[in-house]
Amino acid sequence: METNQLISGIRHRLVRSGEPTLTDFNKITTLDSLRKHLQVAIELEHSTIPPYLFALYSIRENTNEVAARIIKGVVMEEMLHMILACNILNAVDGRPDISHPGFIPEYPTYLPHSNQSFEVNLQKFSRPAIETFLKIEKPSGKGAPPEADRYASIGQFYEAILDGMERLQAKGNIFTGKASRQITPEQFYGGGGGVVVVHDLASAHEAIAEIVGQGEGIDGTIEDSDHLLFGEEVEYAHYFRFNEIHEERYYRPTDTPKSGPTGAKLPVAWDQVHPVKENIKMKDFKKGTEEWGMMYQFNKSYCDMLRALHDTVNGDKEKLREAVIMMYDLKYQALGLMNIPIGNGLHAAPSFEYVK
Amino acid sequence: MENKEYDVVIVGSGIAGAIVAKTLTQAGKQVLLLEAGLEAGMAFDTDGAYKNYQEYLRSYYLALAKVPNAPYPDVKDAESPNVLDMTQINGKPDTKGYFVQNGPLPFASDYARAAGGTTLHWLGTCLRMLPNDFKMHTEYGQAVDWPIDYEYLKPYYEMAEREIGVSCDVQEQHYPNMGGDFFGKDYVFPMYKIPQSYIDKHFIEGLNGLKVSLNGDVYVPWCTSTPQGRNSTPNEKYRYAGTGWNATKKKLEMQPFPKRSEVYEPVGAIWDPYAGQRCEGNASCVPICPVQAKYNALKTLKSAKKEHLTLMSQTVATEIQIDSSTGNITGVAYKQYPQADSKEYVSGIAKGKIYVLAANAIENAKLLLASDACKTSDQVGRNLMDHMVLLTWGLMKEKVFPFRGPGSTTNIPTFRDGSFRKQHAAWISPIDNWGWGWPTGSPDTDLDHAVSTLNLFGNDLKNYLGDLLSRQLLLHFECEQLPEKSNRVTISKKYLDNIGNYRPVIDYNVSDYTKKAFKASKSVSDQIFAGMGVQDFTSYPSNEPDYTTYDGQGYVFRGAGHVVGTHCMGTTAKNSVVNRDQQAWDHKNLFLVGAGNMATLGTSNPTLTLAALSFAAAENVLKALK
Repeated sequence: METNQLISGIRHRLVRSGEPTLTDFNKITTLDSLRKHLQVAIELEHSTIPPYLFALYSIRENTNEVAARIIKGVVMEEMLHMILACNILNAVDGRPDISHPGFIPEYPTYLPHSNQSFEVNLQKFSRPAIETFLKIEKPSGKGAPPEADRYASIGQFYEAILDGMERLQAKGNIFTGKASRQITPEQFYGGGGGVVVVHDLASAHEAIAEIVGQGEGIDGTIEDSDHLLFGEEVEYAHYFRFNEIHEERYYRPTDTPKSGPTGAKLPVAWDQVHPVKENIKMKDFKKGTEEWGMMYQFNKSYCDMLRALHDTVNGDKEKLREAVIMMYDLKYQALGLMNIPIGNGLHAAPSFEYVK
Repeated sequence: MENKEYDVVIVGSGIAGAIVAKTLTQAGKQVLLLEAGLEAGMAFDTDGAYKNYQEYLRSYYLALAKVPNAPYPDVKDAESPNVLDMTQINGKPDTKGYFVQNGPLPFASDYARAAGGTTLHWLGTCLRMLPNDFKMHTEYGQAVDWPIDYEYLKPYYEMAEREIGVSCDVQEQHYPNMGGDFFGKDYVFPMYKIPQSYIDKHFIEGLNGLKVSLNGDVYVPWCTSTPQGRNSTPNEKYRYAGTGWNATKKKLEMQPFPKRSEVYEPVGAIWDPYAGQRCEGNASCVPICPVQAKYNALKTLKSAKKEHLTLMSQTVATEIQIDSSTGNITGVAYKQYPQADSKEYVSGIAKGKIYVLAANAIENAKLLLASDACKTSDQVGRNLMDHMVLLTWGLMKEKVFPFRGPGSTTNIPTFRDGSFRKQHAAWISPIDNWGWGWPTGSPDTDLDHAVSTLNLFGNDLKNYLGDLLSRQLLLHFECEQLPEKSNRVTISKKYLDNIGNYRPVIDYNVSDYTKKAFKASKSVSDQIFAGMGVQDFTSYPSNEPDYTTYDGQGYVFRGAGHVVGTHCMGTTAKNSVVNRDQQAWDHKNLFLVGAGNMATLGTSNPTLTLAALSFAAAENVLKALK
């Protein structure tokens, strides 16, 4: 009952010892605490990207197009959320840190203090992987009412941030960050929605609405909402998009969360996937082997990209262009790895580990 | 379907038809759009559009010859011309492909009969025409003047640049005789320029200050970045949200963003607005942009008001029906085929108050001829034009790495206008970014030569190709062709397609006016190559389809895919097919749109101009509907 309802979903696994404790989150009363919360928000938004990318890359080219597109869309939105969180932190004159060694979680990651013991693996595109993604994205249901000292969902976590900002702003202006540190809509693209430049309470609201709206969708009403959730014009929350893959069916405009998707068949070829080793690590191979070298190179590229993004959100905006080029390289490097047999019918894969 | 009368029936879903459909539906009109090709992304179904486009990509990857139509289905019931079908014509008509080519030279361009039209495989160059292009007769004693001028078209150019989403830095645009107010004060494009490619930077450096003599005059050619219909970084100074019909003033207007904080948002792929928001430099623009960062007309179609738009695909217009007493059009007869390549079809008649033909210059002409329409001037099908492209190629001294970025990002505009147009054609010189692919079939042919003839392998092979392919430079000299009555499209009962529709019969040749420009541009190329130390590999073999000679020299030209003329705009019912409103002189409720209306060609790729004209036509249709 406990932690996984305090903050629903794996997104919150980064809340662990050494980082702000949950009670610190209850009410944000100092600017320092606000900034720490925002740093955690950035890490939360990033933490799902490696498992989603791992599954996405594992799909064989020219197969599972719809599923690949759904996963890709979600990844892009997580990247947008991360940048939005950076903009909020920069607006309150904080310093986003997205290149420190602990920034990438170590997979598999168990939910800390979880009683259900579901873990997040770096695993290939498969039913179990999609089931994990559903758990990650599922907002808490009615069984977890918001309590005064707990966060029932990521939505509440961001509400606490807003609440804190409002309270602190009432005492004196907290939006003292330099405007030049903001990532602007012209700069950022491809990320499922617009970047919001944050410079006051209203724009901070707007940014958080964008994050919470896409991620959680209809928080707390997932099983029994009568809102219009589906159809062409509706941007589905991540949970429902993954559920379409899981059920191998599209939602129809008349569907409800309870009914599940009842529309046309969504073709999924579960076997059109590279047979990659899950939760692979560099230490599985001897230094100097081809596999080790390619894994190192991938990790180097991933960390270099994080470092370029770090510079981007810390005033050096020209670095974004470099980061984008590195993102392209990552895909090719991952595909290269996934073509290397390593014995037992398995292939190599990217490990998403921190390297200098 | 036959019972319903629409406000407007449009034939063709390319950029012209799509712009008219979007503008009219957004103004509340009921529109029926007929498309001869497969549905293919026309519908508002995201997954369908995505899957369909992936099929196109697969066809492209598998095609041995990556020609413009390689990715797109060639449906027998609505065939498309293909440049691979072109051969030398020796006395009798060449009927191998969709075109029947009477010659003496083959017409060298193609187009796509598919949803979205030829914008599926256009390069994306978006140059406006120059003021003098509209008055060739007055200025240079050549061809004809248009009934409209540059000033007339200017506001519509802005609408077209918004619709296509043009990336360009306005302050870099310098053309000959452009006048002081070519773009208007404070005008900016929706997006900043696409970064110029690596090869261009080297070329620009090499060309800088080089003197070239031509006809006794000395020129210092210069380069400009090329405006392009592909997505780049939005320009925050750009202020227009779109184009709309002002019913009170009875005109189309650019509408500013409601909020100051809003910025232009690049229009992404039709299956995902967040894909293709920037050009990724895939370098396969022609024939296909894998992410749809390059504009295509399906994007415009997608933003039409769908409740007011009825789409019928696989529906080939065969004849427009004319009320002989009034001259008014009463319907468009069509054949709808249930399956691709089927010999079966269902006939029907589409009815509207006004009819708009937007089926491409050659297809429009064919349809008019098949209907005995617009006969007064005897100009239908005549004045077929294209840019005649002379290519020159060589090896740069150092590695310049072609294929980085889109197909072409820079051009030499120096010879786009000047008093030399009294004697010979003007031209524009784009710098190509695709090695020698077009003239020689490189890199495949270079690899073949290295292995089979030079017997290279291993590191020697790698080094040889690494050096050769990285230094390849290709220049285009896209020479203007004037309107000539004998370059024409006709039809004949002898030549019918799979479902009994006419195939275009084409008579085509090159005049001395353009041949002189081949000679002049080749001499400019020689001087540039010599000045920059480029080793020239240009050759014009006499067995090429479009081989011609002038002044004792042989030249080979290629088509630019710029299919223009055939129902020209003019000042009287005697000298032209449509008036300045793009309305047929002979049939009041018939509007013709597309590059077929262009009276002369100039040196711009025609898509931007035809898009601007289509906005003007849409405005005139709305006025006519009251």
